[in-house]
Amino acid sequence: MEKVKKKIGSFSFWNWVTASIIFRLILIYFPKNLNLSSRPEVSTPLTSFRRLAEGYWLKQSSMSPYAGSMYHGSPLLLSLLGPLTINRIEGQPNHLLYSLVSVIADVVSAMLIRATGQNLRLAYLRSLESLDLVKQIEVSEFLFSGDIAALIYLCNPFTIVACVGLSTSPIENMAVILCLYGACSRLIPLAAFGWVIATHLSLYPAILIIPVIFLLGCGPDSPPRKLFLQRHQQKEVLNQSKLPPRFSWGPVIHFAFWAFLWSVYVLVLCGISLKQFGGLWEMFKSTYGFILTVEDLSPNIGVLWYFFAEVFEFFRNFFLIVFHVNILFMILPLAIRLRHRPCYLAFVYVAICSMLKSYPSVGDSALYLGLLGWFVNELADMQFSLFLFCGYVGVSLLSPVMHNLWIWRGTGNANFYFATAMVYACLQIVLVVEGVSAMLNHDRKLRNLITGKPQDAKS
Amino acid sequence: MAETKEKSLSDEKPKPRVRPIVRLGIFLISHSFLVSVVCCTAGVLALFLLPVLAKNTYISENALMPGSASPMLSNQHVSDGNRLVKDLTNPNSKSSETGIESHKIIAQYMLDLGAEVSFHKFHPQMNQFHPLHFFSSPVSGKIQENYSCSSYGINTVGIIRAPRGDGKEAIVLVTPYNALKSGFGEALSLGIAYSVFSLLTQVTWLAKDIIWLVADSQYGEYAAVAAWLREYQTPKFSSLSTPNAEMCPDVNNLFELKGHSISGSKFSNSFRRAGTMAAALVLKVRDQNEQFEDTISIYAEASNGQMPNLDLINVVNYLAVHRQGLRVNVEKLWPLLNSSWLKSLGEIFESLAKVAKSLYPKWKFGIPATEYVEGTATLASSLYYQALGVPTGPHGAFRDYQVDAITLEISPKFSLDKVWRNDILLRGGRLIEGVIRSVNNLLEKFHQSFFLYLLTSPSKFVSVGVYMIAFALLIASLPMVAASLYVDANSSSNCSKGDSSTPSAITDTDEHSIAIRSWRWLNSAKLVFIVHLWGAIVSLLPYFISQIPDCSPTTSFMIWVLLSILSLLTLNSVLASPLACAKATQEKEWALVKSVTISLVFIGLGLMSVINFATAEIGALLMVPMCLLARPLKLDVRAGTLRSFCRLICNLVLGHIAFPPAAFFLLKGMLDGFGNANVGDFWMWVESLWAWNSATYLFIGMVQLPCWVLCVSILFHTC
Repeated sequence: MEKVKKKIGSFSFWNWVTASIIFRLILIYFPKNLNLSSRPEVSTPLTSFRRLAEGYWLKQSSMSPYAGSMYHGSPLLLSLLGPLTINRIEGQPNHLLYSLVSVIADVVSAMLIRATGQNLRLAYLRSLESLDLVKQIEVSEFLFSGDIAALIYLCNPFTIVACVGLSTSPIENMAVILCLYGACSRLIPLAAFGWVIATHLSLYPAILIIPVIFLLGCGPDSPPRKLFLQRHQQKEVLNQSKLPPRFSWGPVIHFAFWAFLWSVYVLVLCGISLKQFGGLWEMFKSTYGFILTVEDLSPNIGVLWYFFAEVFEFFRNFFLIVFHVNILFMILPLAIRLRHRPCYLAFVYVAICSMLKSYPSVGDSALYLGLLGWFVNELADMQFSLFLFCGYVGVSLLSPVMHNLWIWRGTGNANFYFATAMVYACLQIVLVVEGVSAMLNHDRKLRNLITGKPQDAKS
Repeated sequence: MAETKEKSLSDEKPKPRVRPIVRLGIFLISHSFLVSVVCCTAGVLALFLLPVLAKNTYISENALMPGSASPMLSNQHVSDGNRLVKDLTNPNSKSSETGIESHKIIAQYMLDLGAEVSFHKFHPQMNQFHPLHFFSSPVSGKIQENYSCSSYGINTVGIIRAPRGDGKEAIVLVTPYNALKSGFGEALSLGIAYSVFSLLTQVTWLAKDIIWLVADSQYGEYAAVAAWLREYQTPKFSSLSTPNAEMCPDVNNLFELKGHSISGSKFSNSFRRAGTMAAALVLKVRDQNEQFEDTISIYAEASNGQMPNLDLINVVNYLAVHRQGLRVNVEKLWPLLNSSWLKSLGEIFESLAKVAKSLYPKWKFGIPATEYVEGTATLASSLYYQALGVPTGPHGAFRDYQVDAITLEISPKFSLDKVWRNDILLRGGRLIEGVIRSVNNLLEKFHQSFFLYLLTSPSKFVSVGVYMIAFALLIASLPMVAASLYVDANSSSNCSKGDSSTPSAITDTDEHSIAIRSWRWLNSAKLVFIVHLWGAIVSLLPYFISQIPDCSPTTSFMIWVLLSILSLLTLNSVLASPLACAKATQEKEWALVKSVTISLVFIGLGLMSVINFATAEIGALLMVPMCLLARPLKLDVRAGTLRSFCRLICNLVLGHIAFPPAAFFLLKGMLDGFGNANVGDFWMWVESLWAWNSATYLFIGMVQLPCWVLCVSILFHTC
């Protein structure tokens, strides 16, 4: 039975992957009609394709790519993707090559998500086995979370829009996923590489170092360690081999070493490419500095632009600190509560970042929604799912309409657009809160199964 | 919906403390039937109350100061205008086949006044299918075509540079004129415009440039104005590659003639521009009129129900009524004026108001019944034209560039003597002068007053804050019913599982429904998604059908229907996997489908109310009852009570009415009589919608039609 199902599953999996790729290619052939690359939802000052092209042009004419506050990305992207912004093939859409790179990045990310998901699922089954819960929870009905997550990532309209809209977020997302994949499959150099590149490209993934350390230290997601101990106390045979491993520092130090190596490497490369244009300091100032000081107040789907457009100059620094510390505040409590599920922790961190980021785009949502797919089995009882779904559909349709009303028709104003941004932020908050509580409930349920307490299905 | 699960939570737990807002939500959801009945009734009632709630208009922008200066238009200018009218109606001027002569006369008159004159040649653009056009900027939707020299129009443009301005702002005056077969009315409108124009060349107070556009209306008034605006707002830099009207010998001929016959250095061959447009007035004079007094009709609806700023209408209304003694009209839905039920409704409201007033003298909200009927008729036409999304005149082209514009149509009481003609020239001219003088005072573009409103008479309006209440009441019941259905479907299936399955409630006897309990709606969502995808395909089909040459509307419509059914079947067989079939047998499946449908209808209506309120309101009147009542017919037949029988009848009736073509024919029949209804009419109507880039078209294709299909599928659900 299991095998047949898997066959059917994988067959339709590849069908869907092909369909989503074909859909992307079709959309790429109508770039002018859609004009996605100029939408504020897709291209932020950090991920905009036009800014990348501008930076490349500046660099080609031997000026600093950061001159004129147009480009704010990494110099490495300029060297890698820059040539694609001007290369054209006769008779083809202008940015075909660049779009193809984004499509490839998306597919690679999806494959990595799939592999990681399979890893996680196996780990989950193993831990259930060692808890002797296999019979109570019918394992054969477990979904292939890897496939589902990969399909969610590939078929998500947000991902497609970010890919077709020529933003750089597919690449940033790929770096994040590479990091998690490496950590899950214990390819430490790869994990370190992904982490360094992701941090280099968009700064916020830096906090993923905590889930990565947990992943390397104690292995992928499993029920809390306490449960195993309880289980074996009941049986009164302490079988050490069935216990999950304790935290081991070896891989973490290994990771630190590699991370150091990679970051030195990346910095040296950046230094070389920016030698004549002010060097590394210039780069830090106009990439990380630009992210942290929220200089560009053009509208996007986040909430910071509106706030900092309103706030008095005098308080600006204070509120900058407040907003950024917001993210940092949440790191520690979440890390303590979810330390046994590092991948889930990573998902929560990514979601929180994409909510409180200074320049969020739909590409960030695409990433965390894809990662959410890993936990379909655990989150089966998640609440408000229909509400969240409708909310996401509604907001993603309403936001362009409000923008149109404000900018083109002139009958609305900035508040119209900002209202959708606020609703969007609220939706993400609900998603994170409900997701975390569903995960904790799941753990609680496992504990109840072990201790034999009466079932409380909902909680 | 957020509260729904809280309810199920509270059911099973031993009474945890529930937050008040959650408790309120639970209360609403558990009484969703009552709430939805109350909400819907209140919504419809509020809609009928709108004429009572209408407020008097007032001029919001202080800078306008209408009527504060005495009009300067004198008899001298009027006789100038008269001269032009005479010259144009002179049979000699019509000798030329293309009507170039009359354009030359107009140009010569403008030049004599010292204005800058240029001709603008354009090709009428064919109807194109780009349904998302309303959504993008006007610039991006430009499509180049192959032009031929056989058909082109000539707009004559005269520009007065303001002595006090910096040339960065302008006011536009448009007079449509068909040189080939112009009636007396068109000549008269040119006369009025000319007399104002001749005054404005002399005045010293002008701070904005004046552009007088004589739009060549032989291919339609709108096309000419739109072509000129496109040229004005989006200059073409690569004119070499595209063949345009300049290359046609006939047109060049025109210039050569000009060079010889026209004396004046201010004539130019190139396209002339002034500054950004502050406002635009389109002036027309109607040929026949049977009314007893001089009236002036205001047309304001632009594409997709966009309206110009209310201040512009206010200024025109104020000056026409209080200064020139003209009667001002806005469109009414005439059949409604004679309806007796509306009259009795008005009387009820009137007597209610009287009672209220006797109770407490400060309550004054009643209006007389006749006024109520007239207000309702105006409101209905206001809603109708906004909902169509088709502009009611050439002013619609301006709104696409965020310029406030209205069409003024003067319909004089008809007589041919000279005194009368002078009188209408004087009064019309003074009205235009006053409006221009007011707009001239503006420091910023119109922004003070409302953009979103419905008119119930020229001097009364309902603002967005009021009419949104009616709409919100109407659709407020949707999320609540969706939530309660969702909770019901989930809890009932949970109970049945609890009885049959193993102690660990995760396992499920149904093999496919796995552990995903709270995600059970996904299957219904899939069905709904498929139907909406089908809706998108149906909306795209006319693009291909319209490519078929020589196709009568009736055959096109038939092809459309056939292809739609075919695509629905194909989609269903391709995308509906066996998983869905296995699920379909599950009880209460229809409730989940209904819940998801209602949620998406709610989103669709909410979205549409932002794009075009009137469409959303009319759509909600049709769809909300249908969505709320939909329930498998089988269940109702089985129940056999009176209540279920009533519901059955309602369902069947609504199922017929809410089908978009049926609704169209019903409406058409009510307005024009059922005698000449033709299947092809619907096709023509739809064609006009997409040709004008109306969002209503998308709404019908992607919200209403899928909703109807889903409701019908619920009705025929086998459970």
